[in-house]
Amino acid sequence: MPAKKKIPPVLEILRDNIVNKGNPLALNAKQNSSWVKDLELPAKGDILFYTGGEYQLLPYIDSLVKTMTIVDATSSAFSLLMGARKLVNMTGINAEKIYASALAKDKDRYFSINYKAASILRKLGYEICYDSTGELYSGALLHELGFWKELKGYAVKVSDAIRATGAKTIVCISPHSAEMFKQVYPEIVDFPQVEVKTFIEMVWEKRDLLPPVKYDSPVVIHDSCRMARDLGIFQQFRDVLDAVGVSYVEPYRCKEWTTCCGGPDKMLFPELSKIMGGRRVKELADTGAAKALISCPYCLSAIESGNKDNTILVDDFVEFIYRGYEN
Amino acid sequence: MSDFNKDFGEYKKDLDKASKDENINRALGRAVKSYRENTDAALAKYPHTLALAEEVRGIKDYSMENNKQLLDQAMKVIESNHGKAFYAEDREAAIRIANEIIGTGKVIVKGKSMLGEELKLREGLEEAGNEVWETDLGEFILQLKKDRPMHILSPAIHVPREQVAEIFSKFFNKEVPPDIAEEVAVVREFLREKYFTADVGISGANVVAADTGQIVIIENEGNVRLCTGAPPVHIAIVGIEKLVPTFLDAMKTAEVTWRYANYGAPGYVNIISGPSKTGDIEKVTTYGAHGPKEFYVIFVDNGRSKMMADKNYRQALHCLRCGGCMYECPVFQVTAGHFGRTYLSGIGSVWESFVDSVDAAAPMLYTCLRCGRCVERCPMKIEVPTMVGKLRSEVVSDDTE
Repeated sequence: MPAKKKIPPVLEILRDNIVNKGNPLALNAKQNSSWVKDLELPAKGDILFYTGGEYQLLPYIDSLVKTMTIVDATSSAFSLLMGARKLVNMTGINAEKIYASALAKDKDRYFSINYKAASILRKLGYEICYDSTGELYSGALLHELGFWKELKGYAVKVSDAIRATGAKTIVCISPHSAEMFKQVYPEIVDFPQVEVKTFIEMVWEKRDLLPPVKYDSPVVIHDSCRMARDLGIFQQFRDVLDAVGVSYVEPYRCKEWTTCCGGPDKMLFPELSKIMGGRRVKELADTGAAKALISCPYCLSAIESGNKDNTILVDDFVEFIYRGYEN
Repeated sequence: MSDFNKDFGEYKKDLDKASKDENINRALGRAVKSYRENTDAALAKYPHTLALAEEVRGIKDYSMENNKQLLDQAMKVIESNHGKAFYAEDREAAIRIANEIIGTGKVIVKGKSMLGEELKLREGLEEAGNEVWETDLGEFILQLKKDRPMHILSPAIHVPREQVAEIFSKFFNKEVPPDIAEEVAVVREFLREKYFTADVGISGANVVAADTGQIVIIENEGNVRLCTGAPPVHIAIVGIEKLVPTFLDAMKTAEVTWRYANYGAPGYVNIISGPSKTGDIEKVTTYGAHGPKEFYVIFVDNGRSKMMADKNYRQALHCLRCGGCMYECPVFQVTAGHFGRTYLSGIGSVWESFVDSVDAAAPMLYTCLRCGRCVERCPMKIEVPTMVGKLRSEVVSDDTE
């Protein structure tokens, strides 16, 4: 019998949390869906709004990464921190403290991006539904980290949950989920016959209905690698900005040539990730724009990490477009 | 079985340290800017390159599919050209063959070769009692510094002129100022003597034409011309993936290689098919004229057949080693060759998985962002992120079975 290989604990914990809890950090459905507030979204319908719990992860990931940068990722202390929830009974560590360490303002902000996205879709006339009790994480990290065997089993659960909503279209707020459902799931599982779209594609189709956004100076778009290179979506953002009357400038590297935010290395190489995030922030700031627009939850987190000196203002694309409704 | 967790911890510390190294930061910043500008200019000046790259992708597809046949053809032609061709399955065989040709107590001048790095060829020849000199300026600096290459084309990319001056002053036992022209001159003077007294010259090859047995070596410094032309014996070590069907295919492949290595035209393109010869006296062909009298080609496998047999990874062998992907890699831009072993960055992690092992490559495989910008740059459009993903699944599969 081959010896068991020791892999960094963070990989095992992410895997186990996704497979067993349906979420990389074992956040529960109640926590994940708390952003809905007054929207009263039905659980079933033709157009499924899918968050995958990804923006909801961000305040916690940042909090954990902050700890990781001072604790050796190979140490047992690190393992305990990352496994806080599952080890709570064995070690006496209060998992809630770890989760509560997220800043309230971060939590409010990242959770509200889902609310704003859902609101925009509704205001554009889309009748969306949302599975507040059964929505599962897409499993993108299982795919990313090589846990393909686990993904195969997990994808069945995710597909069943999506099938149960009766949706004909899924609207993904994260490009990572969209990539999974568009490109990975059809290869590994009996995925429901649904059209997979990103939030920006839905908005682009009805961009003429968007209210103008009052913003006098040019913004700069940070294209996400997944969105621009894997899904081929980048012009849509520019068209939407034209539609809401906001000018934009392009960074040295953009569209298919966009520079990665460093986010994928955040869990295993947090310091390196932060340096790469900082370099991308510089590329964006070098355009002279005061504000950068981001369209992926992990990019948002990584760019924020690299922007600790507040070199540039950072908005998620959703937040920026939503301003039109707040004017 | 290696302990990935332990290897990973040490590797991570090295990467973090490299990312804060001012020399790396400054050198890479300049190199990336220069590479992008030069390549953009070269592609604009020779716009047919894009279509040519696509054609070369087809040539590579065919060549991998028919590699055994091309190898057989090339070996026979090299022999008929009065050279000698060998096949080495792994490092041990390659070093043994080279040492059998060379013997011991010889002076060897060597051109830059990634395969040489992979095989640790210099060390293998030195252990057999030979004196080996790296003649590529960057490699020469690293030989004296006892360091390894930090870029496949610019191996000493991380060593600034001040440090070079210190190394040379110590080695040449005289004051060498931190002036690049003077640094180049002092090495030129030293190596000139070596070229003409060496017993053996060793080179790699960028591409080999199976129909004519001609090996093609792209260079700028002129050291390869001297290594392969001055000593009485020339040995070329070549990965079997470098074979293409025809001379014309080889030229097309070579042009795409140098164009994406940021050259409109390189300083020199060496084409060698056998030992030097003359028929000037009575039209009688005599071998060993001004150049080498003996010509040997060692074709090396060392994991390549395995890569070739697996359709998931075969395209990694299409790599021309132009180095373009590295300049576009956000991790490489801040860590240089620390994101690597012999082979560097994302494509390097795939190569290391085969020429070494998936276990050994694991930390590299998990460093790759899988962001895909390397694919945009790559003339062969090698899908590195896809292969890295698949190899990661192999890394963790033991753990989960």
